[in-house]
Amino acid sequence: MLSERELERYDRQIMIFGKEGQERLKGSKVAVVGVGGLGSPVAYYLAAAGIGTILLVDEQTPELSNLNRQILHWEDDVGRNPKPVSAKWKLNRFNSDIAVRSFIGRLTEENVEEVLGDVDIIVDCLDNFETRFLLDDYAHRRRVPLVHGAVEGTFGQVTTIVPGVTKSLRELFPRVGEREGKFPILGATAGVIGSIQAMEVVKLLTGVGEPLLNKLLIVDLAFNAFDVVELR
Amino acid sequence: MRIKVRYFARYRSLVGKSEEELEVPEGITVGELIEVLKERHNVLRNEVFAEEDDLADVNVSRNGRYVRFDEVLRDGDVVALFPPVSGG
Repeated sequence: MLSERELERYDRQIMIFGKEGQERLKGSKVAVVGVGGLGSPVAYYLAAAGIGTILLVDEQTPELSNLNRQILHWEDDVGRNPKPVSAKWKLNRFNSDIAVRSFIGRLTEENVEEVLGDVDIIVDCLDNFETRFLLDDYAHRRRVPLVHGAVEGTFGQVTTIVPGVTKSLRELFPRVGEREGKFPILGATAGVIGSIQAMEVVKLLTGVGEPLLNKLLIVDLAFNAFDVVELR
Repeated sequence: MRIKVRYFARYRSLVGKSEEELEVPEGITVGELIEVLKERHNVLRNEVFAEEDDLADVNVSRNGRYVRFDEVLRDGDVVALFPPVSGG
């Protein structure tokens, strides 16, 4: 049941998907894997939306050069607080009605089952395909939806993987080569792509609209280009 | 036959335009088109396309649908090239 306070807090979005939709968000557990440029806006908007339990997974500690985009980490966190801890601190103060859990460490074949356990949706906010494929495999084993996002420069992409319904990440990007070293990225790019990922989560949970199933949204903010590619 | 090629993200910056129309041989495949584009735009060869054809590091759609490199193109097709991105 939603409290009076929750009914007031979420009033404007209950106008979109009703109390029932809000209850569903409250009863859901969503994993944000990677709490960096994408993970920051994703976790922020999921907390704002009232997702009942948010699990934050990352092994890194913020660096000064992360702050142009990783907006959940502040100057005081640099070199000090691991990203899940840094983010959890803000999210707890932002929305005290939700639970925020953290796992500090890298996902591996050995720990993925234990770490992700009973989550309803996984949001891919990673910066490498090696770990993305680990998430992809796990999502297919457990039949959990996976919201994929990736960014570089002013460009980004989003698609939602639903095992049994869509292609897997491995099928979509079999040739992917990792870029070595640092890549260019603007905070606003991660903000746009991360916001779309958060929207995908809300759409999956409430049934509003059409998630990007078998569709890849590609965005180039430098040239105002939003294109949807059919993946069937 | 004529096709239209659209460039996204860093391909667009490298080539210097968002799209172009090309005259290509009948029956050309996506993979062969990529070879043509490498000839036409040396920057693509140097900076973004892998040397090995089957490892080419590029995503391609044909008329708005994601395709493999062995797919055969038809007159009037719109082919879009977009780079793989992995950052988060």
